[in-house]
Amino acid sequence: MNSRATVGEMLRQHGVSRRGFVKFCTATVTAMALPPWLGAAMAEQLSKGPRPSVIYLSFQECTGCFESFMRSFSPTIEHLIFDVISLDYDDTLMAASGDASESAMATAMKDNFGNYILIVDGSIPTGASGACCTAGGRSAEATLREAAKGARVILAVGTCSAFGGIPFANPNPTHAWPVSGIVGDKPIVNVSGCPPIPEVITGTLLQFVTTGQIPDLDEYRRPKAFFGNSIHDRCYRRPFFDAGQFAKTFDDEGARNGWCLYELGCKGPTTYNACATLKWNGGTSFPIESGHGCLGCSEPNFWDKGSFYEAQSTAMWGREGESQRKPLAEFAGAAIAAGAVLGVASAGAGRLRQHEREKK
Amino acid sequence: MNDVTIDAESRTSQVTAAMKGFAHEIGALSAFRLESCIHCGMCADACHYYIATEDPQYTPIWKVEPFKQAYKREASAFAPVFRWFGFKPAVTAEQLAQWQHLLFDSCNLCGRCSLICPIGIDVAALIEQARHAMFDAGLAPEELYRKAEHQQRTGQPEASLEPYREQLRGIGEQFGIPLPIDANEVEVMLCVPRTDIEHYPAAVAALGLVMQHLGVSHTFRSDALVAENYGYYAGGKEWQRAISLRLIEQAIACHAKVLLIPECGHAYTALRWEAADLYGKELPFKVMAVTEYLALALAEGRLRLGKADIGSVSFQDPCQLDRKGGVTEAPRTLMKAMGLDLREMENNRSFSFCCGGGGGVVDIERAAPLRYRTMEIKLREIDATDGGTFLTGCSDCRHSFDDAKRHFDWDKTPQSLLELVAKSLAPPRAAL
Amino acid sequence: MSMDWLSFARGPALKVAIGVFFVGVVWRILGFALLRIRREHSRPRSGLLRYVSIGLFATATRSWPHPQFVKRTGAGEALGYSYHMGLFAVILLFGPHVAFLCGLLGIHPWPVLPSSVITGIAVVTATLFAGVLYRRLTSRVMRLLSNFDDYFTWFITMLVMCTGLATSAHLGARYETLLAIHILSVDALLIWFPFGKLMHAFYIMPSRALNGAILARKGAPT
Repeated sequence: MNSRATVGEMLRQHGVSRRGFVKFCTATVTAMALPPWLGAAMAEQLSKGPRPSVIYLSFQECTGCFESFMRSFSPTIEHLIFDVISLDYDDTLMAASGDASESAMATAMKDNFGNYILIVDGSIPTGASGACCTAGGRSAEATLREAAKGARVILAVGTCSAFGGIPFANPNPTHAWPVSGIVGDKPIVNVSGCPPIPEVITGTLLQFVTTGQIPDLDEYRRPKAFFGNSIHDRCYRRPFFDAGQFAKTFDDEGARNGWCLYELGCKGPTTYNACATLKWNGGTSFPIESGHGCLGCSEPNFWDKGSFYEAQSTAMWGREGESQRKPLAEFAGAAIAAGAVLGVASAGAGRLRQHEREKK
Repeated sequence: MNDVTIDAESRTSQVTAAMKGFAHEIGALSAFRLESCIHCGMCADACHYYIATEDPQYTPIWKVEPFKQAYKREASAFAPVFRWFGFKPAVTAEQLAQWQHLLFDSCNLCGRCSLICPIGIDVAALIEQARHAMFDAGLAPEELYRKAEHQQRTGQPEASLEPYREQLRGIGEQFGIPLPIDANEVEVMLCVPRTDIEHYPAAVAALGLVMQHLGVSHTFRSDALVAENYGYYAGGKEWQRAISLRLIEQAIACHAKVLLIPECGHAYTALRWEAADLYGKELPFKVMAVTEYLALALAEGRLRLGKADIGSVSFQDPCQLDRKGGVTEAPRTLMKAMGLDLREMENNRSFSFCCGGGGGVVDIERAAPLRYRTMEIKLREIDATDGGTFLTGCSDCRHSFDDAKRHFDWDKTPQSLLELVAKSLAPPRAAL
Repeated sequence: MSMDWLSFARGPALKVAIGVFFVGVVWRILGFALLRIRREHSRPRSGLLRYVSIGLFATATRSWPHPQFVKRTGAGEALGYSYHMGLFAVILLFGPHVAFLCGLLGIHPWPVLPSSVITGIAVVTATLFAGVLYRRLTSRVMRLLSNFDDYFTWFITMLVMCTGLATSAHLGARYETLLAIHILSVDALLIWFPFGKLMHAFYIMPSRALNGAILARKGAPT
C-alpha cells in the first residue's frame, strides 16, 4: 500500500464514506468522554494527515493483547485503523521475517525518529542476561531500550507490559519487568488488561494520533476515560450487591438468578476498566455477565493478590480456596496455649508472693 | 501505726508497703471486680453522697481508684509492662491521704452502688477491702482507729465510767427485766449495740423482755457484750477478727445454738457473713438478726403479738440487714402482726437510702456536715410518707436520726421496732 | 514488588492481630482468675443450685437498671445499648462481613440485610457513638473517671466505623485502599482488645452471674 497516501484517501479507497468515518470518530470520542464535536475534528484531522508510524514490539507475551487489538466484529472500522496508522513493524502480522524484518524496523525507526508511536506488549525479562526473550539474537531489553530512544510515546498494551503481568508473578523466574521498569525517560501510557478491550486500545491510540496529546491518566498511568471507574461502580449486578443478594456457588439459585458474585471472589470493586460498559466482542458480554467474577486482570499484581474464588473481604490465610477454619483453629489454639502459659505464670507469681507474705 | 506524727519518709514507706500488700493480697474475685469496671459512672447515681452534693469525687468506684491502679501495677497479668513503661505510676502518700476522706467519711458501705452497676461489680465490697489497705497505710480515721484498738483489747470501743457489764445489770434492775449474764448451756446468746447501752437502754430491756416472753434460755456474756465491730469499720482485719472471735468463743463456751444480733446492721454483716471466714471454718451455731428470729418465732406460734395502736408508721431498713443481708420481710411481718399501717418510702426495701451514719461515719466528727447533707434526702422521703411514727431497725440508724433531729430541728423521733414489739407482746395464753 | 496494602491487611496483619488477641485475652483472664479464691464459710441462705440460678438470672436482669434507678440513669444506659445493637447489626448482618467471618471460621453463612439498610444503621450508630463521647466529656462524673483507655478505645472503635462507612461509600480514595485501611483498623482493634476496656465483652456476663450468685447466697437482692 502507498504509505504516503492520506488516511482519507485510504478510507475512500476502501469504500468508507466520510460520513461513516465521522460517525466512527464521534463514537470513539464519546466513549472516551471527550466532547462530541471533537469527533468531527478527529475525522478531519485524520483524513488529512499522513499516517503516523507505529512500531509494535512483542516481548514475553501470549499474543492475547495483539489478538484483542485485531479483533473486530464490525467489518471494517477497527480493521481500518491499520490503514490510519502505518504499522511499520509487527512481528505477528508482517510478511517479512528474519533479517528483512529487522532491517524494516531499523529503517522505520530511522525515518521517523522522534515521531513514531511505540506499542509494546509482553513483559521484558532481565534474567539470564536477557536470554529468556530474544529476537534476531538481541534481548528484549536491548530492543526496547533502542526503540524507546526515537519514540514519541510508548503505549504499554496489556497488563504484562504495563505492570509485569503473569510473568511478573511470584516467583518471577525470568526477572520480568514492565515497560516502566526499563524505560524511564519517555512518556508511557499503560493500557492494561489481560487482554485489554479492543476499543480501549484503539481509542487510546486514536486519541493520541488525533490530538498529539496524552489523555488524562490515573496514578497507574492508564487513561482515565477507560480506567477511571471500577467495574463495581458500573456493574449491572450492583443492585444485588446493595441488596445483599450473593451467589454462593456457581450453580446455586443465586447464580442462576444473576446475583452478585462478590462472595465468589469477584474483584469488581478494586478493578478499574471499561468491561462493564464497553464490554467485549462488540458489546456482547463481559465475565460477570457470563457468570464468572472479575479476576482483576487490569490491576498490578492481580495474580499474586489471589483470592480468585473468595470474597475480597475475607482473611487471606491458609491455602487459596480452602476454608480458613483449619489454619485458624491451629493458630488460635497455639495462641491460646501461649496465653495460658503466660496467664498461669503471672497468676503463679502472684500466688507465690502471697505465700511468701504469709510465711513472714 | 496510725500515728499522725510520723515523718514523711516513714509515711511513704508505710504507704508503699500497704499498697503492695493490697495488690499482693488480692484474690481472684476482687481482681475480677477491679478489672471489670468500664467507667460508666452509673454508681454515682445510686450513691446518696453524690446525689446530695453532685460532686463527682463521691462516685463510688472513684473511691477505689488508687487501688485499681495498685492492682494493675503490681498484680495484674500485664503488671510488669505497666511498671516498666511507667503506664501506672505508684500511688503516693499524698494521694492516698486524700482518699481517706472518700473511703471513710463519705461511704457507709451501704451497697446501693453494688445494686446499680451494670457489670454487677460489688463496689461496696471493694471499698471495704480498700479500707484494709488504708488501715495498713496508717490512714484509718483517728476516731475509728482508737475505738478499734480499744475494743480488740478490752471488748469495749471506749472506756466507760462503769464497765458495760455493770451498766447492763443496772438496766435490768431499772426496767425490772432479768438480763442473764454469763450463763452456760443456753439456746441463745445475746449481744447488744453499745449505742443502746449508752443511749437507748429501753431497747436493751426490750430485748430481754422479748426473750423472756419466748421462754427460751438466753444469756449475755460479759467478755463479748458489744455487737458493733470497730475493727471492721476501721479496716483493721486482724482487729476485726479479734473482736469477732470474742463473740464466737463466748458463744461456743455457752454452747449456744443461736447468736442473736440485736438491732445493729453492721454487726449482722460482720457476724453473719464475715466472721466465719475470719474464724476459718463454719460457725458451730446459727447467726440470726433479732427480727429474723422473732419472725420465725411468730410463724411457729412462740411469739404472740397484740395490736400496737399507734396508727401509721414509716420504717428505716438498715442497709446491712436488708439490701446486703437479705432480711427484708422479717420486720414487715412483725409490723403486720402488730397491725401497723406501714407507709413505705419512695425508695424502700432494698433500694432504701442509707441513714448516713453507718460504716463508722457517725463516729467521724469532721464527716458530720457531709453526713447531714445526705440525710436531707432521707428526711424528705420519711416526711413524704405521712407516716406518724418513724421506726428503725438499727440503733446506729436511730442515733444518726436523733442527731439529725437535733441538727435540723426535725419533728420526728426515731423509735426502735424492737421496743415496739416488746410493748405489744400479748399476754401468755391461759393453760388449757 | 512488595505486597499491596489490602493483601497485607487481610493476610499477615490479620494473622498478627488474631494472634495478639488470643494470647492477650487468655493471659489477662487467667492472670486474675487463677489467683486465690477465698472459700466462703458462712452459712448460705439457700442451696447452691438456687443461688447459682439466681446469679445466672442476674445476667439478664442487670441488663436494665432497677426501676428505682431508671430515672437518673436510664437515658445513658439506653444510649449505650443502642450503639451496641447498631454495631452488632452492622458486624453480623452485612454481606462482606458475613463472608469474612464465615470464611475465617468455616461456618455456613446466614442471611444478611440489604447493604443500604446497613449503611443507614451504621450512620445512626456512628452518630450515637459520637454522642457517647460528648456525654463522656460533659458529664463531670465520667470526666473524672475517664482515662487513656476510655478515650483510645472510643477512638479505635470509631475509626473502624468511619473507615467502614468510607469504604462502603467509596469516599476519599480507591476502594481497595479504603478497604485495606478498614481492615487494618480492625486489626488494630484486635491488637488493642486485650489491653483495654473492650475486655468487658468477656467480663460482663460472668461478672453479673458471679456477683449475683454471691448476693443471692446471702438472700440479698440482685
